[in-house]
Amino acid sequence: MITAELLAACRRGDPGAFEEVVRTTYRHVYTQAYRLVGDRQEAEDVAQDAYLRVFRGLSGFRGEARFETWLYRIVANAAMSHLRRRRRFGEVLTLNEDEPFDVPAPLRLDEEAVDRDELRRGLEGLPVSLRSALVLKDVYGLSCQEIGDELGISEGAVKVRLHRARRRLAASLFGREDAGEV
Amino acid sequence: MKCEEVRPLLPEMADVWLRSAGPAEEHLAGCAMCSAELGRYRALIHELSALRDSVDEPPEGFLARLLAQLPEPERPGLLRRVGADERLQYAALSLGGVVVGAAAIGLLWWRSARKTLDQPPATRAAI
Repeated sequence: MITAELLAACRRGDPGAFEEVVRTTYRHVYTQAYRLVGDRQEAEDVAQDAYLRVFRGLSGFRGEARFETWLYRIVANAAMSHLRRRRRFGEVLTLNEDEPFDVPAPLRLDEEAVDRDELRRGLEGLPVSLRSALVLKDVYGLSCQEIGDELGISEGAVKVRLHRARRRLAASLFGREDAGEV
Repeated sequence: MKCEEVRPLLPEMADVWLRSAGPAEEHLAGCAMCSAELGRYRALIHELSALRDSVDEPPEGFLARLLAQLPEPERPGLLRRVGADERLQYAALSLGGVVVGAAAIGLLWWRSARKTLDQPPATRAAI
């Protein structure tokens, strides 16, 4: 938990205050970065970049939103910049948002509750374009508008990706016939 | 509505808990299969939100590498420090008040002294 006092100390330039912020949050930042880029080394680079952005942006952070929400957005932004630089976002650009939905086959209903490890593997198996929307919405609770701002796409396009990501993830977890469909 | 029409709507319906009853909800009320599938999506979204509080352990040495590359904190200038600290703002206002007050008293004293010096010596002696 990052307190307002600690943030004020960071803004005053108190030695050790920003280090305390990093020590408190680095596991969460690394995890979010890894969930978005899907590679451990790249997640380190994204976390490093995110903390530089936090460091530079702290003087402008006035606490209108929770610090953690602000941090989620900064990590998301750093991850998207990273993916664009690596040109791994090519698939996003070619994703056809207007493609009509087909009728999915029903999920198998004889499965037990969602297994956490299977869920992680399912997430890792999603294309980055779908995974980023799903992770930011369903894991980190950003709004579709906020996600659109971070990904550089419209709110409607975010909803389309979210819909497809949920269907595909559910299919991979609950064994639907059309698990390969995007 | 038929199952084939309702199923494509379920991923989006899963995170909307309060919505007015419509044809899809009417179908869900009478269809165990679609209703159970909606439950699956809701379980999935619930598990995804629970991931927020779970963390993957970063590689060894990650924190040390991170800290080593952080820039040195800069002490902000006096004006920015005053702007960021309410106690400093009160202190600055008090100090400013004292300075203005002292300047006013000094000015009055100087004008009074000057007036006295401008008088002819005889008048000055009488004063």
